[in-house]
Amino acid sequence: MFNELGETIKIAFDAIRTAKLRSMLASLGVVIGISFVILMGWILTGLDNAMQDTFDMIGTDMLYIDKHNWAGGSNWKEMRQRKDITLNQAKDFCERIESAEIAVPVIRTRRSQIKYKGQAYQASFIGTVSEHSIISSKNIASGRFFTGFEDNLSANVMVIGHKIAETVFPNEEPIGKIIKIKGRKLEIIGVMKKQGTMMMDFVDLQCYVPIKKFLSIYGRDRSFEIAVKAGSEEKLDEVRDEAQGLFREIRNLKPWAKDDFSINETKAFEEMVKSVRTTVWSIGLLMTGLSFIVGIIGIINIMFVSVTERTKEIGVRKAVGAKKRSIWLQFIIESAVLCFSGALISLIMCSVLVFAVATILPQSVPEVSFLSPTLSYELLITASLVSIFVGIVAGLIPAVRAANMDPVIAIRSD
Amino acid sequence: MTDSNKIIIDIENIAKIYKMGFEIVHALRKVSLKIRQNEYLAIIGPSGSGKSTLMNILGCLDTPTLGNYHFKEKDVNFMDDNDVAEIRNQEIGFVFQTFNLLARSTAAKNVELPLVYGGVTASERKQRAEQTLINVGLGDRMDHKPNELSGGQRQRVAVARALVTNPSIILADEPTGNLDTKTGVEIMKLFNDLWEKGNTIIVVTHEESVAKHAHRIIRLRDGLIECDEVNDNPAHDFEIKEIIES
Repeated sequence: MFNELGETIKIAFDAIRTAKLRSMLASLGVVIGISFVILMGWILTGLDNAMQDTFDMIGTDMLYIDKHNWAGGSNWKEMRQRKDITLNQAKDFCERIESAEIAVPVIRTRRSQIKYKGQAYQASFIGTVSEHSIISSKNIASGRFFTGFEDNLSANVMVIGHKIAETVFPNEEPIGKIIKIKGRKLEIIGVMKKQGTMMMDFVDLQCYVPIKKFLSIYGRDRSFEIAVKAGSEEKLDEVRDEAQGLFREIRNLKPWAKDDFSINETKAFEEMVKSVRTTVWSIGLLMTGLSFIVGIIGIINIMFVSVTERTKEIGVRKAVGAKKRSIWLQFIIESAVLCFSGALISLIMCSVLVFAVATILPQSVPEVSFLSPTLSYELLITASLVSIFVGIVAGLIPAVRAANMDPVIAIRSD
Repeated sequence: MTDSNKIIIDIENIAKIYKMGFEIVHALRKVSLKIRQNEYLAIIGPSGSGKSTLMNILGCLDTPTLGNYHFKEKDVNFMDDNDVAEIRNQEIGFVFQTFNLLARSTAAKNVELPLVYGGVTASERKQRAEQTLINVGLGDRMDHKPNELSGGQRQRVAVARALVTNPSIILADEPTGNLDTKTGVEIMKLFNDLWEKGNTIIVVTHEESVAKHAHRIIRLRDGLIECDEVNDNPAHDFEIKEIIES
């Protein structure tokens, strides 16, 4: 059986080698189909990795107590009517929470203007306390976070996001530079690492200032948030439970009242990512499906030609003792090898394309820098297996026809 | 020659009926035949006599419409496709008029073919194929493809292919039909040598000059055996012809 199999695979390669051009044209549909599979997988992998990186940076063990539910939630109107979270409530919470590693009050602006050398730029601001550095210190690229001393003094210091550093100081060292915000001068003491991706690049526009400075610039008239670091993903549930109970107490909620706040997680972003993922998948799947249908028809067609052409050979093989199963196997393998060769072609083509795109495109479109210049082994193996499967499916009918040929008639044909 | 009386092929009242369009063709009407080990037999008849049909049935390529066929006491009629394929592989060696070699394979690979389907390992296949090619006088042509060989050499490759599995019988269908007289005689000498080594040989032909080499001659006409006679004086003119032509 195995002796025969090895020989059969050799026969299949010979058969394809003798009809190179024809085989190449026939497998074109499969080449395109496999290319779609590879490219789709490539984009999705890149997207997933980028997301994971971002979550890792922001921290998967983070909870954010906020007036709003970040994932949208069902009742937006109800959320708007919720009372703002005050600085005292936030501070109270941060002192009393026990299970969490750290909790800090946070306050933010959506969009704000900053000026450097007369030029205006967009940024968003986060006011927080020095303890925030426990959450974010690992994300500091250069410089430092502000200290408790600077915090208490309401010092004129700030830590800027990666994107701000890039756009405002393309050729300069940002640390030590002075930026103007609403007429106030702030010194840059730190720069954050790149955390965002195509989908979450707002993260890199965020700048941190001491909470008192924030309040003096933007006023108190807004709701605070509390950033809670659980310590590990496993502790999330425990911390969430304690946080909910504690904050209900702080907000003086009656036992029967609904929460008038939301506990948000980084997972909220995952929902957002999922919808993009689904879109890429469905478009990819549709294209892949269509090209595979075309591909399979092409392969079936060429396999019928191959069977008809070699009728005499089939007769000879049967006369010297080939069983139906052997003939069947021969053509199934030929078809699988044909598709697999197609897959190899698309693997090579896609590798080149992927390398070119991932190295050249981000220079003009930085949003796509999440794309990897190489294809993963999993992807290559999946693509190869899919091609072999397609080959087997496409080869079935022609192979059965070959196997069922009457040897007497087959051997007499020309 | 202890078991030279052993019956290999035993057919009884075989009939084969085809339908060609609206016409029913009786290719074989009622044929009974016993073939023993180490017989050298010729089946002769004009075209349309049913000799090709008979050969196909004897070679287990085709099944009779009526009648019994026992191959070494096994009933072929009750075998499935796989068993019949195995008989063709192990017990029967075919030699065709048109050689029927695989054009893209070398002589050695062609000879190996039955061994591939017999599940023989690659190294043993190679060794056996080479030995058989040496035995038919083609030791120096192993890596040649059929289109690099003469007609006689191609037929020798085909004979080697038939021999390589050590079959119980060799079935040759017009083995000299596509060869010139001299080469044809060489092939007939090869068959004679094989018979002398103990092989059982059945040659199907329409030429008296081919049939006369056999030790038993069966004449077919219109799907019936016309006569089944022993040839007391089989031809041995291989050397003579060669001398005349050279």
